[in-house]
Amino acid sequence: MSEKSGFDAIPIGLEMGPLEMTLDDDTVSARLNLVQWENREPIEKLNVTPPGLTISQHARMKFMALPEMRVSIWAKSEHEFLKPMKKGSKIFIRGRVVDKYTRRGRNYLVSDYETVDEAGDVLLRSRETGIYVE
Amino acid sequence: MVKVTKTIKIGEEIPVLTKTAYMPIDPQTRNVIHTDDYARDFGMRGALVGGSTLLSYVLEMLYNYFGEKWQYHGKIGVSFIGGGAINGDLLTAHGLVKAIEQEETGTRLKLDVWLENQTQAKILVGEASCIQ
Repeated sequence: MSEKSGFDAIPIGLEMGPLEMTLDDDTVSARLNLVQWENREPIEKLNVTPPGLTISQHARMKFMALPEMRVSIWAKSEHEFLKPMKKGSKIFIRGRVVDKYTRRGRNYLVSDYETVDEAGDVLLRSRETGIYVE
Repeated sequence: MVKVTKTIKIGEEIPVLTKTAYMPIDPQTRNVIHTDDYARDFGMRGALVGGSTLLSYVLEMLYNYFGEKWQYHGKIGVSFIGGGAINGDLLTAHGLVKAIEQEETGTRLKLDVWLENQTQAKILVGEASCIQ
């Protein structure tokens, strides 16, 4: 029997992370600048981060967990915002592969992510489906 | 920031948000769909702007409308369609109210959301909702 490799070998349930991240001024500013966030006053006044600041880290976690993956292209993205992320705080993201399938010759990977603060409160729940290419 | 009023009706659009898509191209990026050469080989017009960046344009529109309530009650689910976006595309985020429902914690507005480019082609479509 030949050994599975690449996409076929990815186990459902594969854990990604945890990724620890400090939401310091530089991190928040860099993201605000990257996405050209215009109305910064309410965010600065409340000392929170813009919603979705950490979502780009999900792809990073996927690349760290899947060394054979060369490309990931977003197909679907779902998010539930439960609590704001405080500027200056530390957050932890845990991810898990929950499904995979092939459609029209393309491989798709479905992953769940949960972002929590230092107290363990859930801030963001996400499910993302991406095209997987080696 | 736009203040949410109770007069919003089904079929009405919340204020749009327009941006010129931009993401720095890093030739050393791990995800090579964000490089021109690979993306063109893959059939795209050029290096794709990241999905999380495109999503953030829609999130900013929603945050502008719902304010801080989005951070506690916001839900969004989108699909990326068409050929995505490349640097320089003029993108406009839209949100159209399709339902207003009562929940224990308040009134939830449900919207169709989409992001379209300068040719009015949709590159992101989906749904979002938030308690008012």
